[in-house]
Order: sequence, then C-alpha cells, then structure tokens
Amino acid sequence: MGTKKFLTGLGATATAVKMADVDVITSFPIRPYTGVMMILSQMVANGELDAEFIHADGEHAQLSICHGASAAGARTFTGSSGVGVTYAFETYSPISGGRCPVQMLIADRTLDPPGDFGSEHTDALGCRDQGWIMGWAETPQEVFDNTLIYYRVGEDPRVRLPQFNCHDGYFVSHIPGEVEIPDQSQVDEFLPPYRPVDPLDPQKPVGHGPQIFPDQGPALEAMRHNAMMAAMPAIEEAIDDFGRIFGRKYAPFVEEFMTDDAELAFFINGAHAHTARYAIKHLRERGIKVGLVKIRFIRPWPTDLLQESLSRFKAVGVVETNSSFGIARGGGILAPEVCGSLYDVPQRPLIASFMGGLGGEPITLKEFDFIAGKLKKIAESGKIEKPVYWLGFEE
Amino acid sequence: MKSHEVKIAKEKLLPEAGIVKAPSPNGEQETMITGCWRVLRPVIDREKCTMCRSCWIFCPDQAIEIAEEKMAVKLKYCKGCGICAEVCPVGAIERVPELDFEDGVVRLEKLF
Amino acid sequence: MATQKVEKTKLDRVRSLAKAPMDDYYVSGHRTCAGCGPAINYRMVAKAAGKDTIFVGPTGCMYVANTSYLCVPWAVPWIHAQITNGGGIGSGISAAYEARIRKGKYKGKFPNVIVMAGDGGSSDIGLQSLSGAMYRNHDLLFIAYDNEAYANTGIQVSPTTPYGARTTFTPPGPVVPEGKKLWPKDLAKLIVGGHPSVAYVATASIGYPIDLMNKVRKALNVEGAAFMHIHAPCPKGWGFPANKAIEIARLAVQTGMWTMWEFENGEYKINIEPKKFKPVSQYLEVQDRFNHLTAEHKAKIQNFVNQKLAMLGIKVPVEAVTA
Repeated sequence: MGTKKFLTGLGATATAVKMADVDVITSFPIRPYTGVMMILSQMVANGELDAEFIHADGEHAQLSICHGASAAGARTFTGSSGVGVTYAFETYSPISGGRCPVQMLIADRTLDPPGDFGSEHTDALGCRDQGWIMGWAETPQEVFDNTLIYYRVGEDPRVRLPQFNCHDGYFVSHIPGEVEIPDQSQVDEFLPPYRPVDPLDPQKPVGHGPQIFPDQGPALEAMRHNAMMAAMPAIEEAIDDFGRIFGRKYAPFVEEFMTDDAELAFFINGAHAHTARYAIKHLRERGIKVGLVKIRFIRPWPTDLLQESLSRFKAVGVVETNSSFGIARGGGILAPEVCGSLYDVPQRPLIASFMGGLGGEPITLKEFDFIAGKLKKIAESGKIEKPVYWLGFEE
Repeated sequence: MKSHEVKIAKEKLLPEAGIVKAPSPNGEQETMITGCWRVLRPVIDREKCTMCRSCWIFCPDQAIEIAEEKMAVKLKYCKGCGICAEVCPVGAIERVPELDFEDGVVRLEKLF
Repeated sequence: MATQKVEKTKLDRVRSLAKAPMDDYYVSGHRTCAGCGPAINYRMVAKAAGKDTIFVGPTGCMYVANTSYLCVPWAVPWIHAQITNGGGIGSGISAAYEARIRKGKYKGKFPNVIVMAGDGGSSDIGLQSLSGAMYRNHDLLFIAYDNEAYANTGIQVSPTTPYGARTTFTPPGPVVPEGKKLWPKDLAKLIVGGHPSVAYVATASIGYPIDLMNKVRKALNVEGAAFMHIHAPCPKGWGFPANKAIEIARLAVQTGMWTMWEFENGEYKINIEPKKFKPVSQYLEVQDRFNHLTAEHKAKIQNFVNQKLAMLGIKVPVEAVTA
C-alpha cells in the first residue's frame, strides 16, 4: 500500500496529475497556483511524467489548448488563480458545451483591484454558471483525492464535463499537510484511461460545434443540463469506489461535523471549514449546540441533500468568502443558493450570511464566535435582524 | 437523490455535444441545398470545352463535375455566381436565365 | 513541442490542373455567398491537404456560413474555435497527437492540423493565439484567409483592410473623405519577423490555384509550425459582381496590391511577379469600396505599394499619378 508524504495543496495536485497519466498540460504563471506547474515541469524534465508541457500565451490560451487537446482525445490539465481565471472566461462555455473533460485547478486569489494575493472564492464562483463541475477541497489530502475523483466523474460517459478543482490559495495551496499517496495500481483501478467519444480523428470524421438554429438551442442546453445532473450519481458512485479502493470515505456532497444534536450550523466551503471545526469544539465546550455543514460540490449543487440537512437546524450562518455586489439579500453568492434550495421546504431554518475572509484574511476563531452568537440570537428570537453581516464591521 | 433531468422526446434529441457526422468526400451537405439561389444557369458547350478544368478548380461550391470526360454542372448546388463562365479560356460557358428553362428554379412557389 | 518525431505522410507536388487532386473534402451545401473567395480558398486548401486533415475554424464567415445549422460541409474532422483562439485550439490538437502517438494511445498517422482563420481571427483579436502557436512551433499550419474585413458581421474594418476602403465602420464622409485612414497590418511579415522557429511562411491567392495548393503542401510537409496568408476577395464586402472574384484576385497581384512570396531557410522568394505592374487604380476602380477615393488618395496607395514592393526587392514601381 501507498506511502505518506508532507505535501502542499499544489504538491498534492501535481502528484495526483502525474498518477493520472495526463497527456497535455498547459501553464502560465500567476500566484498562487503557479507552483503546481513548477513541480509538473520538473517531473516532465526528469522523465517521471510523459506529457506535453506547454507554455501557453496566457490563461485564455491555456484553456484553448486544453480544449483542442481534449477534443483530440487527450487527458488534459491546467490551472490558474484570480484574474487569470477571469481572463479565460470566454473559453469555459465552449469547453463544457463541447463536452470536453478538461480539468482546471483553481487556487483561489482575490480579483483586482487592488492587487492582492490572498484567497477569495470570487474568481472561481464567478465562473459557476459555465457548465463546469466545481467544488472545493479543505486539505492537501482532499486536494489529491479530488483531482482523481474529478477526472473520473468528468470523463464518465454519462457526464463528459470539465471540472474546476478548487482550493484556497495559500491556506491550502502552500501549507503542507500529510498526504497518503496510493499505489499506481490503485489509481489505475479507480481511474481508467480516458476514452474520448467522437474525438477529432481523420479515421472517423466528425464536426465539433457547428452553428445551430434557435429552435435547436433548447434541446442542446437541456442535454448539457442533463449531463450535469448525471454528474450526481456519477459522483456518488465515484466516492463509493474511492472509499473501497483507497480506504478513505467522503460524503459525496455534504459533509457534516458535530451536527447530530446541533441547533445552529455554519455552512461553508473550502479551507475555512478547518478553522470552523476548531471553533465548534470550543463553542461546544461552552454549551453552544453548533455544527458544521461543508459543501464539497457547488456544481452540481446538491439541492435535495441540503434540504434534508439544513432543515434540521434553527439557524444557519452562510460563511461567504466571495463577493457579488448587489446580489439578492446583499451578501455573497452562496446564501441565495442556500435560500433557494430551502424555499420549497415547509420547515426551514433562519439564514444569515457572514462576509468573511475577503482579500485573503483568515477567518479567526473569534469571528466564528461572533457568528455563533448571532445565530444563537436569531434562533432564540425566531427572526432575522438583518440578512448579512460583514465580519469585522459589526457591533 | 431525486433526478432533475429533463425528459427530451426522442424526436427532439440532437447529437450529443453538437458533434455531427461529416459528409463523405466529394459528397454533399444535403441540409443546405443552394441550387435555388440561382438566377443565371451556366450552360457548358461540350463542343467548345477543352477540359482545362479551370471552371472545376475555381467553383466555390464544388458544383462542376467531370462527367463522361466532359464538365457538367451540379444544378442542385450551383448558386449561379458565374465564376466558371468568367474563367473559361475558350468561352464555352454561357449564362442563361433560369426562367428560360422548364425546370427553372426561380419560381416563387419553389422559394417559399 | 515534439520530443520525438512521429510518422507523417509527405504530400507530392501538384504539377498541373490536370493532375490536381480529384477528391474534394470541402463539399457542396454551404451558405457562403455566391462567388465567395474564401469558399474557393477552403476548397483548394482541403483538396491539397487531403483526407488526413483536421480543420480548426475560428468564428468568422467560414464558420457561420459553412456550419448552419448543425451540419458541416467538411469531409474531414473540423472543430469550431472562438475568433480569439484558433492558434490555441490548433496547438492543443497537435499536442494531443504528439502525446497520444508517443504514448501508444493512438494508432494512426499524425494528421495535418490546419487552422483556417479570417483576417480578424489572425491579425487582430486572434493575433496572440496565432503568435503563441508559431512561437511554440507546434506541428500545424495556420492559414489566414484574408477578405480584408470582418465580413460575417457586415463588413467592418479589420487591420488588413486596405487604406481608403469603405467599410461599415469606416464610412467616408466630409470629415473623413478617405474612409479607412490607417495602413494595413502586414501579417505574414509579422510572422516572419518575430518567429524564428517557423520554417515556412507563404502568401498565396485564390487566383493562382496551383501555386496555392503547392504552398499548402509544402507548409504541411515541414516539421513544426507554418503560416500562410491567402488573399480571398469578397464580392459582398468589396462591392464587385459575384462572377469577378478570380479576376479581382489576379488584379491584386498584377497591380502589386498583393504580393506572392515564400519565406524559407531565411530567405524570401518571389513566386509570381508580373512582367509589368499595372497601376493600382485599375484594381481600385472595379470595387465599390474604393469608389469615393480621389486621385490624391489613389496616389498615396500607389506610393505605398511601390514602397512595399521595394522592400521585397522588386523595383518595378508604377509612378503615382495625382492628377
């Protein structure tokens, strides 16, 4: 069985990419994701990984090259951060519409202005509606595992969709953690070689992406929607298989921590869940019945599972490490999706957003205390004073 | 989990990912028949034709065929641009109004 | 990016029209305008390249007019690219075949990868993508078919639109009598000048099919990246009758408005050079897009052409006439 190593999120990604036997890798430097390409280029130079390592002329080109390579049957990997992610925006819909299972690492970085290296999820979340599978990892181990799981789900013949494999810049990308590296044979069992459907091949000529009549639009969009819906069972099956082969069991979509008797819950994605767990242990010692609901996939969004999970609480605090200026309820991107998921449920919790970690600030234990205090007050009074709190600016 | 898939009737299904089959070499793309655009029909004088292939190579629509050792016009797709007549070095191609033909395509009932 | 060369078929020289390849891979049944120059170009390129070819089609007329609706007129694989990223998509396809053949994941020949981009998708919004593909020296051929405007969207000015041309973004008026005021970008020179790894660069014209097809074959036979800039007159955009595309294409060469050359082994070679150049006015006067020009404007264009020819070492200037 495998070995254990101390790896950063970027090191874990690179190791998984190598074990996935990726064919084409496209790079362009931007902090903080760029380290993964430094490691991969060395692997290629050393002959440890047989892949075309391409220095793209920008993020738009990184994605374009992956699109062409994937359409021609290659397993591809790319990545970016912050404004690099938004620079490539045009390419995202053509890649998912062409059903090319490109994988892109996003190590989050705050968008400009002002120039800031810290992690904020707006870069990735801004691309959430482009038909890509999307989710966050909390630790280097989860990063490693997600990299393999995403390829498996994205390349599933029912799905055939690209994947944003996200983790927080610095908090995860640069802080080492223990990672169990499996044997190559385990990876091969979990992730079979990519079998492209109708690739660009002169032996069997096809046309990819011709124009359509407007009346052909609904069906094509419905089919892309169905592909995303098919990702749900594909994720569940992949997680099952993953547990069987690697011995690590994940909740496919919604991971809970100390929620059995909880009345209050932090709803969170990504690295800050790590701090939240510590906060919850402290809060529990003080008798506050709070738990954690961590969402592992933002796309596809697990509406039904969230209805089951969140309707058990009296108050839910959505921790938002992102911004959407002027969005419904005036907070971040996640709360409207959470509220929307629960609208059809008769018994639903009171929900408030907590804007935190913007610009890459850590969310401190004290701030989780503050969130718990507000949630407690909301639960006791049975009403929402205001829907959004900006951590650090509140009484 | 509940399925939120859309049921798409069989007749509304399109090729997955918009990936379509290519026509065969020298074939035709039958969903875009362009012969009905034509106003003037190229008519080749087979006596004058020297088989130089100028009309053939310059046709934008692959509408000149080499048939029975002579050139022939593929009327189903010829748009009537007249390049063939223009490039013919011996003046073997005449452009005749479609209305002069029994099977002329410029008829309103054929266009709509 | 090749580390280990994979097998590639070499294409023979086309000796004459009688010996030109019979098979067509760009077939009947597309919505290009009657007498479309870029369609003629597509047909000749596809003929020359043959069956082991993959086309990349960035947005432009050759995407919109050819693929409506949910159909393709190519008998070889084709993929749509954004107008921005033809070079990138082409690079990816080429890299995929490098990797897959080397790693034993694909059994078959290395294909001809041809990016067929318009002047906008190559000299303007697609320039970075083109330059990247050339710089990295992927095994592909990038063709800019030049109809000197964004024709698909209704004839808007592009960097290769000639000085003095009327487009829907450069309408002449009392304040701007000449229409377009800028001199066109010389895309092929840009590729030659700044991309030392590119082994073959050529210009061609649909008026000269044998030359065009042989250049395509030469470009496909070289290892690594190659670039061709092909002049393809547009009846709708330039304002000439549908039957005149070939005549206009030849006039462009005969007046020096378009030059025909190859660049390989560090040297330019002029391929088709008229014995006596005609004055540019003969070219300008048969197209509506220039019909607002004064003698002064035409003289400026003549001078520009003379200078361009001199740079290529052609000393056959035609005197600029202002009166």
